[in-house]
Amino acid sequence: MRPIIFTSVVLAGLVLGTAAFAEPGTLLKADSLRAKPFGDAEVIGTLKAKDKVDITARKGAWANVQIPAGKSGWIRVLNIRTGSGKSGDSGVGAIASLFKTGSSGNTVSTGVKGLSEEQLTNAEPNPEEAKRLSKYKNTDADARNFAKQAKLSAQQVDYLPANGGSE
Amino acid sequence: MKRILTSIVMISSLGATGAALAFNLNDALNKLNDPDTQKALGIGKKMLESAKEISEPQEIDIGDGIASNLLGAAPLVRDDALQKYVNRIGLWLALQTERPNLPWRFGVTDDADVNAFGTPGGTILITRGLYEKFRNESELAGVLAHEIAHIVQKHQLKAIKSALGREWQADIAVAVAEKKGNSDAKKSLKAYTAGTELFARGLDKGDEYEADRMGVVIAARAGYNPFGLVGSLQTLDAVNASDGAVALMFKTHPAPAKRLEMLTAAMGTQMDQFGDSGKEPARLYVLKK
Repeated sequence: MRPIIFTSVVLAGLVLGTAAFAEPGTLLKADSLRAKPFGDAEVIGTLKAKDKVDITARKGAWANVQIPAGKSGWIRVLNIRTGSGKSGDSGVGAIASLFKTGSSGNTVSTGVKGLSEEQLTNAEPNPEEAKRLSKYKNTDADARNFAKQAKLSAQQVDYLPANGGSE
Repeated sequence: MKRILTSIVMISSLGATGAALAFNLNDALNKLNDPDTQKALGIGKKMLESAKEISEPQEIDIGDGIASNLLGAAPLVRDDALQKYVNRIGLWLALQTERPNLPWRFGVTDDADVNAFGTPGGTILITRGLYEKFRNESELAGVLAHEIAHIVQKHQLKAIKSALGREWQADIAVAVAEKKGNSDAKKSLKAYTAGTELFARGLDKGDEYEADRMGVVIAARAGYNPFGLVGSLQTLDAVNASDGAVALMFKTHPAPAKRLEMLTAAMGTQMDQFGDSGKEPARLYVLKK
C-alpha cells in the first residue's frame, strides 16, 4: 500500500508543480492585452469576455497571461475568474462534502486529517499548545526589523468604503 | 446589566447633566464622545469603552479560551522557524492597525484543511493546508491582514455576544468574579465554547466583505502588494468545492468568486498604485516535508 501512496503523492506533486506555472483563468469582461503591467502600456491585443487564458505570472494589480493563440501580455488580475464559473455559490457542493469528511478523511498525502465541523465543536482545550503558541510571540522591534530586511516600509492608506456589488 | 448600572452611576456622579445622562445611556455616550465634554468631565476614552462593551482584558481572555480549544482540535506545526516567521509578519501587519497593542499571536496548525481563524484579542491561526497554497509572502500577508481586520473590528466578539444572547452578561460576570477570586480551577466560560462553535457557523457575510476590504489596505499600509489577498482568493476559487479540505471554509464564508466581486467593486483602480510600489519579498518560508 505504502509505495502506491508514495508514488501518487509524487505524481500529484509533479502535476501541481506544472499547474503553478500556468493557471487557467477566464476573462470576466473584454479587456486590452498590454505589453507591460501598467494601465498606459502599449496595447498588443484585445480579449473578449469568457476568453480562456493561462496565468503565468502576477505583478501587483496585473497578471501575465498567455492566450491560446500563443500571444502573451498583461491584463488586470481582478478581471480574471480562476474558478469554474459554473455558479457563483459553492454552497451545495460544500455542504454535500461535509457528510463525506467524517469517515473518509480529506487527503492521503499529508497524513493529517482535516478539521471537520464536528471536531471543532467537540474540541477540548489544549493549554500546553496555547503556551507553545505564546512562546513565539515576538516584540514590535523584531517585527519592524524583519520588515526592514525586506525593504517593507509603512505608509498611510485609508480604508476602502463598501461600494457596489450586489449582495 | 450590573456593569451598565455601575457606569451610569459613575457617569451621574461626575456631575454634569447627571439626570439626563442616567435616563438614556446611548444619548449619554454620544454626548460623552464629544471631546469638549470629555475634557470638561475629565473622562478618558477607556472608561467610555468599558461602559459600551467588555474590557480589553476580558476580550483577550475569551480569545485565549477559544484559541486553546482550536489548538485542541489541531496542534501547531512543529517547526519553530515557520512559527517565528508568521509571527514576525503578522505583528508587522497588526502594527499598522488601530489596535497595535493587543497581544498578537500567530500560528500555523497541523491541519490539512484550508482555513484561517482569528479569535478576539489577537490570536490568529492558519492551517497548513492553506499555508501550502501561498504563492508568495504578500498572499500570506493578505490572509493574515484579513483575520487581523476581523479582530480590529471585533467581528467575532459581536457574533459570540449575539450567539449567547442574555447569557452573555452572566458569563462575563463569572469571568470578572474569577479574576478577582484568583481561583486556580478556572471555570470554562460559555463564551469559549460559543466562540469555538462560531468557526463552524461563520461570521456575518458583511463582516467577511469588510475584512477583505480592510485586509488589502492593511497589507498596503505594511508596504506589501495589496493584491496578495486577491491571489489567495483566486486560489480558493480554483479549488473544487467538493474537495473536503475546503468544506468548512466554504460553508462559513461567502463563495470566493463573490468575495472577489465585492472586493473588485470596492477597490476599483485606486489600489493599483500600491500594487506597483508594493513589495513581494521573495522569502516565503517553505514548509519542511
